[in-house]
Amino acid sequence: MDIILGAGFFAWIGAVLYPIGKYLVPPKVAEMSVNSVEAGGISEFPPSSSKIVRFGRRPVIVFRQQNGDFHALSATCTHLDCTVQYKSDTEQIWCACHNGLYDIEGKNISGPPPKPLMQYQVVLQNDKVIVTREEMT
Amino acid sequence: MRNLQLLGVILFFMGFLLAEQQPIPKEDACIRCHKEMDEEQEEGQKLFPDILNDIHLKRGLSCADCHGGDPEAFDDEDKAMWDNESFSGEVSRTDEIAMCGSCHSDPRFMRQYSTAIRTDQVKQYWTSKHGMELKRGNKKVAICTDCHGVHGILSVEDPRSPVYDMNVPSTCSNCHSNSDYMAEFGIPTDQYYKYRKSVHGEALLDNNDVGAPACNDCHGNHGAIPPDVSHISDICGTCHVNNDQLFQESHLKPIFVKRGFGQCEACHGNHEVLKPNDDFLNWEHGSVCVQCHEDKGGEAKIMADHFYTLLDSLKGQIAIANSFVEKADQKGMEVSDLLFPLEEAHKVLIQTRTSIHSFNKDYVEEIAKPGFEATKTAIEGGKAALAEFDFRRKGLFISSLIITFLALALYLKIKDIDRKQSKDKS
Amino acid sequence: MGIYESLNERLYLDKIVEFSKKKKVPVFYGTIWYYLGGVSLFLFITQVVSGVLLLLYYQPGVATAFESVRFIVSKVEFGWLIREIHSWSANLFIFFVFLHMFTVFFAKAYRKPRELTWFSGMLLLFLALGFGFSGYLLPWNELAFFATKVGSDIAGSIPVVGDFLLRLLRGGDEVSGATLSRFFGIHVAIIPAVFTVLLGIHLVLVQVQGMSIPPELEKVPEEDRRYMPFFPNFALRDVLTWLIILNVVALLAVFFPWELGVKADFLAPAPPGVKPEWYFMFMYQTLRLIPAHVWFIEGELLGILTFMLGGLIWFFVPLLDKKAKVGERSKFWNWFGIILIIYMITMTIWGYLV
Repeated sequence: MDIILGAGFFAWIGAVLYPIGKYLVPPKVAEMSVNSVEAGGISEFPPSSSKIVRFGRRPVIVFRQQNGDFHALSATCTHLDCTVQYKSDTEQIWCACHNGLYDIEGKNISGPPPKPLMQYQVVLQNDKVIVTREEMT
Repeated sequence: MRNLQLLGVILFFMGFLLAEQQPIPKEDACIRCHKEMDEEQEEGQKLFPDILNDIHLKRGLSCADCHGGDPEAFDDEDKAMWDNESFSGEVSRTDEIAMCGSCHSDPRFMRQYSTAIRTDQVKQYWTSKHGMELKRGNKKVAICTDCHGVHGILSVEDPRSPVYDMNVPSTCSNCHSNSDYMAEFGIPTDQYYKYRKSVHGEALLDNNDVGAPACNDCHGNHGAIPPDVSHISDICGTCHVNNDQLFQESHLKPIFVKRGFGQCEACHGNHEVLKPNDDFLNWEHGSVCVQCHEDKGGEAKIMADHFYTLLDSLKGQIAIANSFVEKADQKGMEVSDLLFPLEEAHKVLIQTRTSIHSFNKDYVEEIAKPGFEATKTAIEGGKAALAEFDFRRKGLFISSLIITFLALALYLKIKDIDRKQSKDKS
Repeated sequence: MGIYESLNERLYLDKIVEFSKKKKVPVFYGTIWYYLGGVSLFLFITQVVSGVLLLLYYQPGVATAFESVRFIVSKVEFGWLIREIHSWSANLFIFFVFLHMFTVFFAKAYRKPRELTWFSGMLLLFLALGFGFSGYLLPWNELAFFATKVGSDIAGSIPVVGDFLLRLLRGGDEVSGATLSRFFGIHVAIIPAVFTVLLGIHLVLVQVQGMSIPPELEKVPEEDRRYMPFFPNFALRDVLTWLIILNVVALLAVFFPWELGVKADFLAPAPPGVKPEWYFMFMYQTLRLIPAHVWFIEGELLGILTFMLGGLIWFFVPLLDKKAKVGERSKFWNWFGIILIIYMITMTIWGYLV
């Protein structure tokens, strides 16, 4: 009887400790911070390049102009929610779905988009490109 | 010196105070008299108070600037109007264009009010259908005041203005939907009715999307004229750039030109541009291709079928992915990460529909490909989430079993102790 | 010298062992009620363990609170389980604490010499409600945001101190990031600290005074009363109930998960169905039912004052119930309790029906 009880007890301890142990191991995915997001090292952004990063649940396009300036805009087109891209030749943001164009500030300048893209801020810190949103309080 | 500074500061703030207040039009002789007369006028004929909102009056112009007369001649009707040479009274429909143009066509004058203001309206007007008819002596056509209003003209930016984006369709329809009025011109009068149902009318008038085109965006404002068939695609293309570009490069373009079909319009219609749907490609039901290709089919049918199936299967995959993600969501699993590929697939579906305008199989397939990949990711993710849900239940079952087993053992142990104790007592 | 002996010399373990050997539990029809305190204690321990685990990943703050909870339930292995257990055992905790309180009330266990146990227990109940109220906001979802808004509004309508209390609760004029930081601090530091001390006192009092028995049983001569030893008989039964409760919590966690909902947005209009948690429902519903004006005072104010008065009376029952002091049941207080329970249940159900 005591043996069964002991075995059961140890099995129970195992059943409790296993999830807790697993829980304590930090997950592979870096934590999901939404106030700011690291878009990568500065070296990953040669002039005239861009990258789509996830900001919380939304995609954000981070791009570097020919002159070296960084910008970040919401990457969701305001027309039909397609994901936009950076056109390095004209230095514009382009939506491939209906050829909507935005300027580098996110203002809709051509094509069907009805509204501008939301702007994010880019902060360069220790060779890292960090995208932030202004605190909403 | 200091006094001057002080004076400057005072003037500066006084300027603020003045600027804060609405500029009140100067009450000259015309206004004073006509205000009194206005009280006896019937509703609808009254000038006041609408005229006080008139942009011209607000910018310092007076009645006399359009109608002539002497605005300083208080209490003297003859001196103010009848005996005054400059007095014109009602401006005739033929004179009006030139009268408005006397200021609006003068860049130097207009620059005072805004550097961005256009001064080519009159020039454009004479090229318009309205202008050409007026030149021929037809006074029924629209002139400046028919669209902009007469007394109480508002800025185009003012939502109350009849030529504000969202008011344009109904302003044009005042004449163009009136079949009696339009009878002599022999053109249809159902444009407004059709437009109202169109995807553009819906966007502009129901969804208040001022980016959507009103009449003037396709026909022009002051130079209003129906676009000629060969240039329809250029006009649609100002917004639908991609579709236009793809079509221009397609093998269909030269054929359309040769046969004199309106590009875009041939399939999508003009005033009644309905929201396109995938049945446009459905040979058996609703296809627009059959208008020219008839029932025989052949290569055109093969291509249309191909596109239709492609779109259909992408939609199908998206629906499947959606249902998996939804199912996992309903079971309480966290699936927000899967919304990304779903969005991507949705985006590709839109792009694929656009790419159809190339009428190029390989190109369309190339565009659609990432959509299928994205739905695959979403479906796999959804399945994984559902599997995880099962795993949780199994895990719960196992640990629950362990707990139940332990509880049972404990129960037996308690009974055992109780039994021993009662034995000890006895 | 063994470890036990060396520890015994310093910690007087023998005395504790002797005490626990002598400790016994009365056996009668109401023995089952004795488990409720233990169950509450177990659930509290579960709360502490799961709460500490959540603390490892949770980040307070307007931008991070919701996301970090989402991170816990979606990315951290078994994070969902820890969170579900925390929320489910929180609800069960409140439930069992209420049950515990009412059984103690009807068993007249608050009578002399156990007044202090009752007082400390009541304070623990208030703190448990504070735990619930402050913890509800922490995931920073829409429903919690508005429930907190409404809840703190009610606190704000208390006369004289209301405004001050409202600002104190919210850390400003509106429910904001400051409120979240505040509630977080209250939930994980202030209340736990006070709670632990009070719980210690509560448990020591129970041990020192032994189990209370209802007045009727006291009249039975000592030799006719039945007892069972606390160790191991009752303790093992305690553990058995704990295991059953744990099983129930696990089942609820998997089959009835709490949704995370939508992230709170300051500018969004209030969603339909903003309701407080169920244990505040009877008060919320009452306040909704009271007309805007009763005679000359505001309805809401009247309601709050009534609740405060009621709470005060309930708190001081050991001093007010004269009959219990002499070991008799008071009909008045029995009915008071029964009506209160009926009132709370009806109001709660009503609140969920409308």
